[in-house]
Amino acid sequence: MSDPKTTGRPRTLDTGNLAPLESWLARSVDARTLAITAAELLPGGAVGENWKLDVAVDGGAKAGTHTWVLRTDAAARIGVSLDRADEYAVLRAAAMAGVRVPEPIARAEEADIIGAPFMILGFVGGTAQARRIVRDPGLATFGPDLAEELGRQLARIHTIEPPADLPFLAVPERRAARDIVGDLRGLLDQCSDPRPALEWVLRWLELNAPEARRITLVHGDFRTGNFMIDGARLTAILDWEFAHWGDPIEDLGWFTARCWRFGNDALEAGGIAPLGALLDGYNAVSAEPVSEREISYWQILAAARWAAIAVLQGERHRSGREPSLELQLTGLMAPEMELDAIDDIRRLVARSE
Amino acid sequence: MHREHRAEALVARALATLRDEILPTLSGDKRYAGSMMANALEIALRDMQGESDAAEWALLDPIYGEGEGSMARLAGDIRSGAVSEASHAKLVENLRRHVVAELKVRNPRFLKSRGVTG
Repeated sequence: MSDPKTTGRPRTLDTGNLAPLESWLARSVDARTLAITAAELLPGGAVGENWKLDVAVDGGAKAGTHTWVLRTDAAARIGVSLDRADEYAVLRAAAMAGVRVPEPIARAEEADIIGAPFMILGFVGGTAQARRIVRDPGLATFGPDLAEELGRQLARIHTIEPPADLPFLAVPERRAARDIVGDLRGLLDQCSDPRPALEWVLRWLELNAPEARRITLVHGDFRTGNFMIDGARLTAILDWEFAHWGDPIEDLGWFTARCWRFGNDALEAGGIAPLGALLDGYNAVSAEPVSEREISYWQILAAARWAAIAVLQGERHRSGREPSLELQLTGLMAPEMELDAIDDIRRLVARSE
Repeated sequence: MHREHRAEALVARALATLRDEILPTLSGDKRYAGSMMANALEIALRDMQGESDAAEWALLDPIYGEGEGSMARLAGDIRSGAVSEASHAKLVENLRRHVVAELKVRNPRFLKSRGVTG
C-alpha cells in the first residue's frame, strides 16, 4: 500500500555529489574506477528510497555498464522484520541457492556515505503490482505457468537449511507453528482492541499445530505483490524482510490464503492459477512433496497472521503515535480474516469427523 | 429532527459531495487518499444506522451474565482455555455472528463475496 504521508520527504541521495558513493562502490566491486552516469528516484518506496543507478565500471569482475538499484533503510519497520543487513545476507543465501532474486551487489552499514545505510542490488524490470497481475486479461494463459515457476522457486528457497551462514535467525522447535501463534499473541498484547474471535482461531491453531517435517528458510511474505514479472515471465522474488527458519509449508499457506488472492478467489495460487499448478512446480523440485491437505492448516494461520497485523496497524494509529487514515482503515479489516479463518476451521473439522 | 439523524444526514451529504464532486477531480496519491476518505465516511454512516453492540452482548451475556462481560475478558478467557466450545456450545456461532455484525458495518461487500447474507 502506498503511504501518502511519506511523499515530499527529503531525499537521502544527493545527486549533485555522487563522488563518495562512486568511490565506495568502486572499492566494493574491486573496480579501478566507477562512474554513476544517471540516478533516478523510483516511485513508491513507502518505507525507504529506491534509486535506479546507471553505472559504468572499469576493471574487476563487474567491468562494463549496469543498471543497479540503491535501497536505503527504512526509518521505521514493523515488529518482527529483519534489518537491512540481515535481509541482504538472506538475499545472498537465496541467490546462491538458485532463487531468482535481484542480484545482491554491495551493502553499506555506515551512514556517512550517503547519509543512511543502504544496499546495492541488480535492477529487475517488470511489475510487482498484485492488482495489475490478477486483472491481466492474459492471466488465464500465463497464470498456470507462472504459478508453476513460483512453485519451483519456493522449493529452491526451501532447500536452504540452518545454519547456512544466517546466524541471526533463531531456529525454532519442530512445532514451528506454535512459535508463530506465540508471536501473534505477543502482537495482540500490544493492542487495545480485544479480538475474541482471533483469540479463538489462535487457540485452535495452537491445539492443532502440526509437527514440521523439516525446518528450512521461509520467505515469510511470499505472495502476489512480492514478486516481479516482466510480461508473463517471473523476474524476481522480492521483499525478504520477514525471512526466518520455520516449517516450509508456511510459505505455501501464505501464498494461497484467501486474503492474498486479490478477489480472484477461485484461483487458490495467489489469485493467478489453480493450486495444482503451484504444487506441480513445487513438487517437481522439492525432495518432500506437499499435499493440498497439509496446506489447509497454514492457510488458516495465514489469515490469523494478517488479522493480527491489521489489528497492530490499527493500534499504530489509535495509540496516537502515527495518526493515519490508512492505518485506521487497515485496523478495521481484521474481521475479514477472522471470518475466513472461522469458516475454514469449521470446514476442516467437519471434513475430518 | 433528532440529533443523530442530523449527524447521519450531514455525513451522507459529505459522502455524496466527495464522491460526485471531489473524487473525479483527483489523481494519484490524492485520489487514493480521497477513496480512503469515502470508505471511512461509508463506514461511519453504516455505523450510525446500525444496531450498536447488540451482537457483542449476544456473545458476552450467555457466558458472563447480562451486562457483566467484556470483550477483553472474553479474549483472555479464550486464550487460557477457560472459555471454549466445550464449556459454551454456542461460542463459535456467536463469535462468528459478532464478526459478521462488524463486517456489515465495515465491509458489506466482503460479506457478499463470501456469500453471507442477512
